Amino acid sequence: MSTASDADDDQTGRFVRQPNGRIRPLSPHLQIWRWHITMLASILFRMTIGAASVGAILVIGWLGALAFGPEAHAGVMAFMGSPLGLLIGFGLTLVMFSFILNGGRHLVQDTGAALEIAPANLLSHLSVWGPVVLTVLFWVVLFAAGKVSL
Amino acid sequence: MSGYAQYKNRVKISERYGAREWVVERVALLLLMPLGVWAAFSAFTLTGADYDTATAWFASPFNAVLLGVTAVVFLGYISLAWKVIIEDYIHRPGNKALLIGLSNLIFLVLAATSIFFITRLALGSAPLPAGFGA
Repeated sequence: MSTASDADDDQTGRFVRQPNGRIRPLSPHLQIWRWHITMLASILFRMTIGAASVGAILVIGWLGALAFGPEAHAGVMAFMGSPLGLLIGFGLTLVMFSFILNGGRHLVQDTGAALEIAPANLLSHLSVWGPVVLTVLFWVVLFAAGKVSL
Repeated sequence: MSGYAQYKNRVKISERYGAREWVVERVALLLLMPLGVWAAFSAFTLTGADYDTATAWFASPFNAVLLGVTAVVFLGYISLAWKVIIEDYIHRPGNKALLIGLSNLIFLVLAATSIFFITRLALGSAPLPAGFGA
């Protein structure tokens, strides 16, 4: 418990005077925290939601191209086969695997399971790095099967 | 909110829609796990597919129905996720309601568009804009 006398001669900036006049230790803010893998997994899931929203629009665009007929479809396929298109495709699959694995982690932890440090770290590592591994494998097999080429 | 707070096993029961929404989010995410794996396999099948191969894929009712279900559950889940994100960062009631309404509208339109396209592809309808004045 810090008292006013702790802070009166404080030169470190560790204390602040609150609006109610009380002296309190300054809360650490974002840049103070060491990055934990659990924190990264949590933030990445929120980013995945954002990226998946954009991805959904792209997939619906592909559905639309099919529904608008062969010419529209050929145009979209020509773009998706270009280096930029393939990069977008790679990003889409990364988001897909990230959604599945990180969503799986979220579901498990929502039941109250795997919240201790070791299993939480393990699940977070799986949901952060697993999608990268799966996406690279997915594209290696796509190239090997001759479904895409550069 | 009016009325007495109600308790179950000494835990306060949600007075409004929070608990139901929480359950809907979890059920939707649970459904999306197998649907996601199926979508990954379908993405592999359809990558690089030409027009005839892709339309043949949609002619299978199994694929068309499952893709429709995936689209609706996924977009529903994403809209709830955006609601949570907006509620976390926007605290002015008017702005919050406006943004949540806007995001719900966008995802409703996206879901309707997906179902429209998937239905046409499943039925093998003529390419658009056939039937719309063209």
